Amino acid sequence: MPRRKPVPLWTIVRKEIIANLLSYKFFIVILLTTLLLFTSFFVLYKDYKGRLADYELVRAKPGEPIAVLPPNPLSIFAKGLDEAMTRSFEVSRIGIAVFAGQKSGNIIFAYFPTPDFVYIVKVVLSLVALLFGFDQISREKESGVLRLMLSNSVSRAKILAGKWLGNFLSLSVPFLLVTLLGFALINLDPGVSFPASSIGRFFLLVLTALIYIALFLSLGIFVSALTRRAASSLVILLLIWTVSVFVVPNLGTLVSRQMVDVPSVKSLSEKQDQVWTREVLELIMESRAKNGRGTGDIAKNHFDAINRELNQMEEDYRNKFDRLVRLSKNINRLSPAASFVYASTELAGTGIGEESRLKENVLRYKDSVLPNLERGEKQAAAFAYRYRSVGQVLAQGGLFDLTWLVFFNILFFALGYVAFVRYDVR
Amino acid sequence: MTKQNPILRAEDLSKRYEDGVLALDHLNLDVRPGEVYCLLGANGAGKTTTINLFLNFIPPTTGTCYIQGIDVTKDPLEAKKYVSFVSENVMLYGNFTARQNLEFFAKLGGKTNLIKEQYYQVMRRVSLQEKAFEQRVKTFSKGMRQKLGISIAIIKDAPAVLLDEPTAGLDPKAAEEFLEILGELKNEGKAILMSTHDIFRAKEIGDRVGIMKEGRLVMERTREELQYEDLVKIYIDYMKSEPLTA
Repeated sequence: MPRRKPVPLWTIVRKEIIANLLSYKFFIVILLTTLLLFTSFFVLYKDYKGRLADYELVRAKPGEPIAVLPPNPLSIFAKGLDEAMTRSFEVSRIGIAVFAGQKSGNIIFAYFPTPDFVYIVKVVLSLVALLFGFDQISREKESGVLRLMLSNSVSRAKILAGKWLGNFLSLSVPFLLVTLLGFALINLDPGVSFPASSIGRFFLLVLTALIYIALFLSLGIFVSALTRRAASSLVILLLIWTVSVFVVPNLGTLVSRQMVDVPSVKSLSEKQDQVWTREVLELIMESRAKNGRGTGDIAKNHFDAINRELNQMEEDYRNKFDRLVRLSKNINRLSPAASFVYASTELAGTGIGEESRLKENVLRYKDSVLPNLERGEKQAAAFAYRYRSVGQVLAQGGLFDLTWLVFFNILFFALGYVAFVRYDVR
Repeated sequence: MTKQNPILRAEDLSKRYEDGVLALDHLNLDVRPGEVYCLLGANGAGKTTTINLFLNFIPPTTGTCYIQGIDVTKDPLEAKKYVSFVSENVMLYGNFTARQNLEFFAKLGGKTNLIKEQYYQVMRRVSLQEKAFEQRVKTFSKGMRQKLGISIAIIKDAPAVLLDEPTAGLDPKAAEEFLEILGELKNEGKAILMSTHDIFRAKEIGDRVGIMKEGRLVMERTREELQYEDLVKIYIDYMKSEPLTA
């Protein structure tokens, strides 16, 4: 008897890829994903161009104490908080006035917001990955093909790895091609310039998306290895998907609001108005009492008091808000969808961390230009802001979220392996 | 019959499922090269359990299965190199053509360097129509799928073949063609263990026939012995007899 070669992993990978290429499911899913991604890229590219044109109008002229950022080109893929970050912050002696910076003019967006790349991956691609994985074991068990496969000298680990890899490649290659083509087409426009660091960030964003997609594929295969019927597997997975993509991220925010008491913006604004009213009334009364003598000093004292009190209020508010955000993020991380959104938006520079850092910078800018304004100087230093480097993003939570996604991947694959080893193929 | 070492051997093999059902009770059997062993028995008699144990789909409660002298439980991957399997209802990849299915399972069986013509030759050997070679299997009748199933076993060229009720549901012509192919495999020296309900075909093809009841091998006859005995009568008598556990 001649010695038989061990079954190459590629045999199973290739079979899975061909099986996908020959199925209607694959074509419908890839067509849908391509259509969605290209629509998203096109609409958000136009939106970005519009916001960039707006920026040219509202950008600070030399000497103006205005902090305003241009739109982030990576917001085409991960819009995140970019609209909030590109508002115009105008510094004056009475504080910071915030104006809508570059905002989508088309109000129809309010009804039908265009999903960005991150949203499509978070919702659609995760579901697609589950559709690729849900019947990998149970369907072949139902048809009896699994028995025939396992009657050969091939380990269950190799079958599982082959199935995973074959389906991952079937899904990720078209996804990568469409995404990279979209990115290349946007790059053809000289008006959209991605700095070198943005290109690196973009590829990291795509890598994060691939890790997230792989996670749902592993989950699909795991549940498939727990059930004897593909239909049962699909129902269970739809439930898990709904909970992890929609319920947990919202639930986390609601729960944390019960645990951390943060006043609403409206209530903060009313309190600030009250401080203003009180101080101005006192100023008027004191000026009357002194018959207008020394009004300048009195006014300065009151403005200083207002600034002190408002700064204190804002700091208290920010501290509470930061606590709320931290708690929400940690609860939401129970869902990989939340970790994916945090990691990808932070990498794109449109995440909560970046926005928070921008606000701190704007406050520091206010503190630096306020003395000049009080002295009556007309010229203020220009506001400068540098986005965090990729290293800083990773060190400040990004790496945790990426590791968390990888951990989910390994966990689901390992659970899938254990379930498949114990799977009754009869 | 030449007394060569058995390729398939079950020693004191028992299987009790988690629900307490004793599916196989101290089975001893062996199948030698060039021999067809037919296992007869009613549903639940333990025929399929025996095949599942040989394929290591389930672990035995006691006893050992050997394929080519290799303990199936201890080294299943090595043991499975020497066995092919044909199930009752060969369900392959419906979107694949017959040749693509054959190619995939040939590679799983360790035959990685075959060319298209070699796949065609095997399909011709099992009398699959030429036009079906590159047709999707989902359009195939059961008879055609079973022929493709046996061509998968042929192309693996393993010394042992396990068949789990392979002719169930086939029309008489297709079943006859199927048994002709089995005869050829036997002549090539394969050790064949087939579970079946079909008493007539078991008598026709089997060198030995065993009757199973409630997990026990209650009777075994050779082809020579069956020339003087009525297998149908023996089978019916055993089926009508009192339960063994009573």
